[in-house]
Amino acid sequence: MADKTKATGMLAELKDGPYPSFVKEIEAAAEKNEMAQDLIGLLELSYNEKLCHWKHGGIVGVMGYGGGVIGRYVDVPEEFPNVSHFHTLRVNQPAAWFYKTEALRKICDIWEERGSAIMNIHGSTGDIILLGTTTAQLEPVFSELTKLGFDLGGSGSVLRTPSCCVGPARCEWAMFDTLKFAYEHTMKYQDELHRPYFPYKFKFKFSGCPNDCVASIARADMSFIGTWRDDILVNQDKVLWYANEKKLDIQEIVVDRCPTKCMEWDGKELHIDNRNCSRCMHCINVLHLALKPGKDRGCTILIGSKAPILEGAQLSSVLVPFMRMEPPYAEDEATAEDLPELIDNIWELWGEEGKNRERVGEFIQRIGMGNFLDAIGLEPAAEMVSHPRTNPYVFYELGEEDEEEEDE
Amino acid sequence: MTAEPAERLTDIGPPHFEKFLPPVVKANYGKWDSHEILAPGIYVHTAESGDKLYTIRAATARLISVQKVRQFCDIADKYCDGHLRWTSRNNVEFLTTKKENVEPIKKEIEALGHPVGGTGNSITNIVHTQGWVHCHSAATDASGIVKAVMDELMDEFTNMRLPGKLRIALACCLNMCGAVHCSDIAILGIHRRAPEIDHERLRKMCEIPNVVASCPTAAIRPTSVDGNPSVEVIEEQCMFCANCFTVCPSMPLNDPEIDGVSLWVGGKVSNARHEPMFSKLAVPFIPNNPPRWPEVVEAVKNLVTVWADGARPYERMGEWIERIGWPRFFEVAGIEFQKEHIDDFKHAVTTFNTSTHLRF
Amino acid sequence: MADMVSVDEVAEAMFKLIKDAAGQKQYKAMDLQKAMIELFPDRVDKKLCKESIKKLINSGRCIYTYFGGSYIELPHVEGAANPDE
Repeated sequence: MADKTKATGMLAELKDGPYPSFVKEIEAAAEKNEMAQDLIGLLELSYNEKLCHWKHGGIVGVMGYGGGVIGRYVDVPEEFPNVSHFHTLRVNQPAAWFYKTEALRKICDIWEERGSAIMNIHGSTGDIILLGTTTAQLEPVFSELTKLGFDLGGSGSVLRTPSCCVGPARCEWAMFDTLKFAYEHTMKYQDELHRPYFPYKFKFKFSGCPNDCVASIARADMSFIGTWRDDILVNQDKVLWYANEKKLDIQEIVVDRCPTKCMEWDGKELHIDNRNCSRCMHCINVLHLALKPGKDRGCTILIGSKAPILEGAQLSSVLVPFMRMEPPYAEDEATAEDLPELIDNIWELWGEEGKNRERVGEFIQRIGMGNFLDAIGLEPAAEMVSHPRTNPYVFYELGEEDEEEEDE
Repeated sequence: MTAEPAERLTDIGPPHFEKFLPPVVKANYGKWDSHEILAPGIYVHTAESGDKLYTIRAATARLISVQKVRQFCDIADKYCDGHLRWTSRNNVEFLTTKKENVEPIKKEIEALGHPVGGTGNSITNIVHTQGWVHCHSAATDASGIVKAVMDELMDEFTNMRLPGKLRIALACCLNMCGAVHCSDIAILGIHRRAPEIDHERLRKMCEIPNVVASCPTAAIRPTSVDGNPSVEVIEEQCMFCANCFTVCPSMPLNDPEIDGVSLWVGGKVSNARHEPMFSKLAVPFIPNNPPRWPEVVEAVKNLVTVWADGARPYERMGEWIERIGWPRFFEVAGIEFQKEHIDDFKHAVTTFNTSTHLRF
Repeated sequence: MADMVSVDEVAEAMFKLIKDAAGQKQYKAMDLQKAMIELFPDRVDKKLCKESIKKLINSGRCIYTYFGGSYIELPHVEGAANPDE
């Protein structure tokens, strides 16, 4: 009988080469695991037929939760009985994906005993993905995970597992504490994360600066991206060092690439018109030992990004141009203290009026951003648009007084 | 199942991140001053206190065995007091305060088959979806194409000689899980025909009202076939999202010859220089050719090469194309511009050239 | 303000709705909330509806399902499921 722990045929051709081989990973798991063995066989079948062999399972889960488990059944169960049920668990990752080996090893032990011994570190949303087990193992795995201090992440029409960049843990550009905000929002909204109450999925992603290392602006319904308001801090000696020692062409590489042309370089000093700086990060990225973001820091909140299904892809657009994320708070500015109410207002409106499978970005497109702002109690701001409208079809809502005047 | 209800924990959330932070990170949290890339894949971060933290970054296949995770843990236990982390693009990172640990860590991780790199102006790890390993709507595999493409591009992972960063992503159907819609190069699995209905099985397996309701474009209607209730698909309205197949396994839209891969270019997420941009269609269709998808690898490599040759320092793919114009891009990339490249979905008109700005 | 309805009563009304529509219509949590507000005007609120759904799910009488969107349904064997091993 063939050795089911080894890939042969087409899959074997993916074992060589300099990049880590996923086939070798499945083989490693298959040494002692029958699910992983059948996964090799099934995948070889897919490769030969150029066909996918999975069916979606929409019912399996752990007791009380409506998310965190992705159901899968194979469509050739007679041939591959060990992956007949092959459900995945999403495990909520610790913020910024820091681990102690002790915890990781315990997760490995649970998954070797009760699942396929194969995982994704990490899935697209950020969770640890435990890839494939039977229905009967779901509850025991969940029980052991929670005893270890881990919980499931989100799937379905819930708040999806929030994620964040490495932030203040290891980055000088973290304009706010991304780990803290990710963790606190995960904990505060556990009910929304596990029990579907929304029209569709909703994602928070926290990036510490405009480089946006967690793709917040492309993938989060509510994107939090760190920024600053005061002047870029310049160490002119270090700028000169880049020019003279590192032979960096400041004019071409820094000044000419500035999107707002707010810089000048005279060969001795870099002059920045900070009023016209759009906080894009390019000059800071390049001259990172010489330039630093200012000290008046906070974040920009943007809303509505999503992948194409259904109405086409969207990027998030500005909702709150600047929010201060830590005290001291001044009275006349948006602060993190306003955040719970803002989130509640958005969820309340979209929850009540959003259609099934309508992301908040599509919802805004349908009802109009102006109406959305009215309903959640935010004032319009010029920062929210790339330019004002070009069509004259303004739906004026005239009050009684206006109409009376018209009559006269 | 015999779990005692009284012991059942729920809604505990993830462990607090502080439990897992290395002491040097805790001590300098929010007080990092600067960083330098010492070599591809190796960072040093310096705190205001003067403390230094060395990071060794290596590629991992997103699909990973518990055995490999334990091997990573062994390295972290040996050199990093049991601390390690992953990046948002499936790279593993080992963190140490001891400079003398950097080379041994690099050696050990490379010995396990994991190249060190992915920093600065390089191609870092590809983010991707599940493909035939676990997704029901996959039009192509994910891990296999990623492996084949990265094998070819590995020198650009372990070096930092490209004009700028290049981010590649792969999604195995047009649901586009992952930031495929905003990547420098996106590899996207596509179905190209409406679901085929197995009326016999559908009658037994699926609830017709739910199948009808599942279609986002209302392309599915109840009908009767040989006197039995079933559904029909208005093919012109189908956008191949597979949501009906999700609800009803008797409506497969997979097809070995019709499914395949499309390539997209010029998207970005970062705000640096140009605003974030969507990826745009470059190659409409390449057939699936497992196990190593040589046509896809070739086409991706070509895109990397023409960009690397033409771009100015720090110009991302999309910025370069914007500077030279799309006609020139198609010319230098050797890609034929076809009907499929012209948008015909909502807001298509905003993508037309409404000027005489033409480069001849 | 009228007396609030009890969690049990709301859960029961929700269950009846789901049971009567099984195989015809899938309810989302918000659909149930809206139906309850119509059924018991001024006597239910969001919090009460959430508690009632939790009760329905935790009792095992209903389950969450996911088919493109998340629904609340009667427990049943889905078309895609393979027999237990």
